[in-house]
Amino acid sequence: MNPTEDQIYVIIFSTLFLGGLMSTFVIAMVFIHRQRQAQNKQKLEQIKSEHEKTLLNIENEIQQETLTYVGRELHDNIGQLLSLAKLYLGSAKPEKQTEGKETINQVISEVRALSKNLNLDWVESISIEEFISQQLKKIESTGYCNTTLESEFELGELPKDQKLVLIRVIQEILNNAIKHASPDMISVRIWKDENLKKIELKDNGKGFDPSLESSGSGMFNLKKRMETIGGDISITSSPGNGTLIHLLLPN
Amino acid sequence: MSDRFIEAFFTAYPQYSIPIDLLLLIGIFIFIKLPKEKKRNIHFLLPFVILCFSVFYQNLGSYTNYNYEFKKSVNAYFGNTEYPKFNLWLFNIAERQVGTILYLMLIKSYIRPFKRKIINWMIFIFIVTALVLQFSGIEPIYLNQPIIFAIGANMILFGCALYFTDLITHPSYLNRNPLRLTSFWQMTAIIFMFTLSYISSVALIYLYEVNPVLGSVLQSIGIYLGILTLAVLTISIASPLLPNIFDKEPF
Repeated sequence: MNPTEDQIYVIIFSTLFLGGLMSTFVIAMVFIHRQRQAQNKQKLEQIKSEHEKTLLNIENEIQQETLTYVGRELHDNIGQLLSLAKLYLGSAKPEKQTEGKETINQVISEVRALSKNLNLDWVESISIEEFISQQLKKIESTGYCNTTLESEFELGELPKDQKLVLIRVIQEILNNAIKHASPDMISVRIWKDENLKKIELKDNGKGFDPSLESSGSGMFNLKKRMETIGGDISITSSPGNGTLIHLLLPN
Repeated sequence: MSDRFIEAFFTAYPQYSIPIDLLLLIGIFIFIKLPKEKKRNIHFLLPFVILCFSVFYQNLGSYTNYNYEFKKSVNAYFGNTEYPKFNLWLFNIAERQVGTILYLMLIKSYIRPFKRKIINWMIFIFIVTALVLQFSGIEPIYLNQPIIFAIGANMILFGCALYFTDLITHPSYLNRNPLRLTSFWQMTAIIFMFTLSYISSVALIYLYEVNPVLGSVLQSIGIYLGILTLAVLTISIASPLLPNIFDKEPF
């Protein structure tokens, strides 16, 4: 074999080698793509199932709270009204009878209002702004602390799952503030910053150390819930300095 | 039509000139048939531009072989009086420079937005390097330009690698079947064309001296891969008319 033949063989071999290498590369890419596609599908299904699980949990929690609220209303309000109606209707005086009928009418409207709370359809009919306003009014009506709501822009109609999560997260934050922070003031602000929709919840209560494990797990739960709807949460607090929470809504 | 004209345009390289002319006619016919918004879409417009440009410069090359005086005057304009029969200037400008830029732009249209900046920089660097090498006299425009070719081919292969990494990592690509994407077939054809062109550019002149049969086989590989790439581009233009075979590109 002379040097010229050698060089020709090298050229033939190089051509075949490069052709083979490229073919292998492209085929490998297709195989890797298939593999990753399957992994991605599995991951998406997992995220979807986690999302559904979270939503289910949230629905359960809201229903539990609603049932507690309904129970309290039945006992403290409707029960009292019915007892009063019984007393009025038991009286022989016609004016008491009339008052008894009016009380019965009041009971009917209270029961109607309560029945609306028993399923989650109210979530669809209420906006987040309305929900926050209702919650703040409830807090104020107990005389626990003052509240303010400032809405700089309309959140608009959100999908039911996002609304459910937001309602639950806001409820949880407000409950935590009342239970643990003893604030004089709770203020909520809805605003937009560089296309990011935000809800700011601020209280001037005791505050806490977010790095502590005891407070961390609850916050982790809130964060995880916000993430399931593509949002996020940021918490700024320190003992004695109140708490500032930003909810970042998905676009 | 004179015999020389027929020879220059049709019979000198019939295995190349006739198929690409046919591909251009098919490409024009399909492009006319496309809806208006598809005609403006870069995924169909750019393959059409590349097809038209490639067939145009190949025919211009044939014309330079037919009109010797024209070829000679262009060579003289570039300062080449030594080899007036060469039309390498056309090959260098059209295929090795403008062609490289067009293929880089095509690759750019298929990769995720943040990687497009890399391709923009590559195009910029390629243009500056090609101009410097030509104006400094290192690689005159009328002679073989191995350095410019190597830089361009490497950039295209790197661009293809960027595409394939997106193919196996980006969720938009992972949701699709690559075999139903015209971009996948385009990148495969481009990767083969430029890899095997490497061997041609390095060994062709040498092989023609020592083994002309093998030289012509090697050249044929390049020619057929060029036709294959143009055929893939023609099919890409037709892809909106074949929705059962091809999927929509994610980017």
